[in-house]
Amino acid sequence: MDMSYQEWSIMGSLAAMLVVYGYYFAAVLRHDGQLEFALGRLIFAVIAIVVIEIVYHIVLALETHPEPKDERDVVIEAKAYRNAYFAYSTGAFLVISAVIAAGLARVAITPFLVVNLVLLFMVLAEVVKLVTQLLYYRKGF
Amino acid sequence: MAKANIRNNIRRLRFDRSEMTQQELAEKIGVTRQTVIAIEGDKYSPSLEVAFRIARVFGVPLEEVFQYDAPDSQVA
Repeated sequence: MDMSYQEWSIMGSLAAMLVVYGYYFAAVLRHDGQLEFALGRLIFAVIAIVVIEIVYHIVLALETHPEPKDERDVVIEAKAYRNAYFAYSTGAFLVISAVIAAGLARVAITPFLVVNLVLLFMVLAEVVKLVTQLLYYRKGF
Repeated sequence: MAKANIRNNIRRLRFDRSEMTQQELAEKIGVTRQTVIAIEGDKYSPSLEVAFRIARVFGVPLEEVFQYDAPDSQVA
């Protein structure tokens, strides 16, 4: 498949996000309610993402011909951010609704759950952004 | 997603100009080769500035590079 530098870059970021945060959420689900454990894993996940991204982009720069973003890249990124914003807004609305509903029903909703739900929707929004970019690069607009 | 009704003759113009490659055209107009491929395949409508740069590279009027087929509802 003839892919541009930008597409390879996005593919790498997407793979890193899915693997690292997939590991994070799988780990915290097994330690339900342990906020300190989640914080440790979150710090590890953020550092892992940064390291993977740096190493991947160094290798990518050596293997391909890095090109600066042009107007099409910028337009595609803007459209992707629009979809990501929609995904994140929806997530924020759902979390707020859940907290209010739990308060009304006098059901305890833990900081652990709220923090991880917000984080989940942040990750999902980023995934939506990256997938949208890949789709627009392939399909055009 | 509505497809743009803009067609172009870039491929023919490139071959009329000593078979200019997509990479050469991309460098002359300041975009990536992938963007030239997308424009040629009617998958991306460039900005007015890039459109004028393309026309200038080939030394032809803009209308010779790009044609717009207005839907019937938009024809005055």
